[in-house]
Amino acid sequence: MSTVLPLEDVDLASETHTSGPWQAVVWNDPVNLMSYVTYVFRTYFGYSRERAENLMLAVHHDGHAIVAEGAREQMELHVQAMHDYGLWATVREGAA
Amino acid sequence: MTSLVLDLSLIEAAHLTDLVQQFLSLLQDTVDEDAADDPAVARLVPDAYRDDADAADEFRRLTQADLLDRRRDDAALVATTLRRDGEELTPESIDAQDAASTFEIRLGPAEAAAWLRTLTAIRLVLATRLGITDDADDVAHPRFGVYNWLGYRLDGLVEALDSAP
Repeated sequence: MSTVLPLEDVDLASETHTSGPWQAVVWNDPVNLMSYVTYVFRTYFGYSRERAENLMLAVHHDGHAIVAEGAREQMELHVQAMHDYGLWATVREGAA
Repeated sequence: MTSLVLDLSLIEAAHLTDLVQQFLSLLQDTVDEDAADDPAVARLVPDAYRDDADAADEFRRLTQADLLDRRRDDAALVATTLRRDGEELTPESIDAQDAASTFEIRLGPAEAAAWLRTLTAIRLVLATRLGITDDADDVAHPRFGVYNWLGYRLDGLVEALDSAP
């Protein structure tokens, strides 16, 4: 879901200083089960089984994975939800 | 998600009740401001920003109390589902000949969600207490028995939810 701002509301000058979207990142931990992490990604984000498993494997093998991107407030809600499930998650600003 | 049936042995249900009560006591002893003082509780409310302490503090201020309240509510709900005829089970109250008998628990969607989060949270607390910090840590030793048993039950619950119609 997204909304489009009327053109006159877009501040082009500040836009050039804004980095890319914010990210919700889930980090690997030695406790949470692979099956559980996949289940959380499927049920909370509504991701397909394949996408959820790929994200889980990225967390497991690469140490972390970006599970969502978008507005900062939205990413904070996702991270709060991940904490609620016991996953270790953080918010960060995406690359410019 | 429909409701599902979980079969534990009676003695498992009693020990799980005990663990859930200990978890509730731990949360009870935690004043929200002090959550970070106990690493096991701190793991339940981790920093949301890695490189921005101010943002992490602000996020914590806005979310920590809610998250810990939810852990209490979830654990209390799990404890309720573990009652037998309204009575709380204790390992001491179970006769040896009844220990292995089946204790059937029916979970609706909200209860199943509370179970998932509570088993996970208790495993996180145990992992901190047991010093499990790395994927390579060997948890085969018997002192990890309770931790592994919770993992086995959690995995079974996830599987049951996954295959529920």
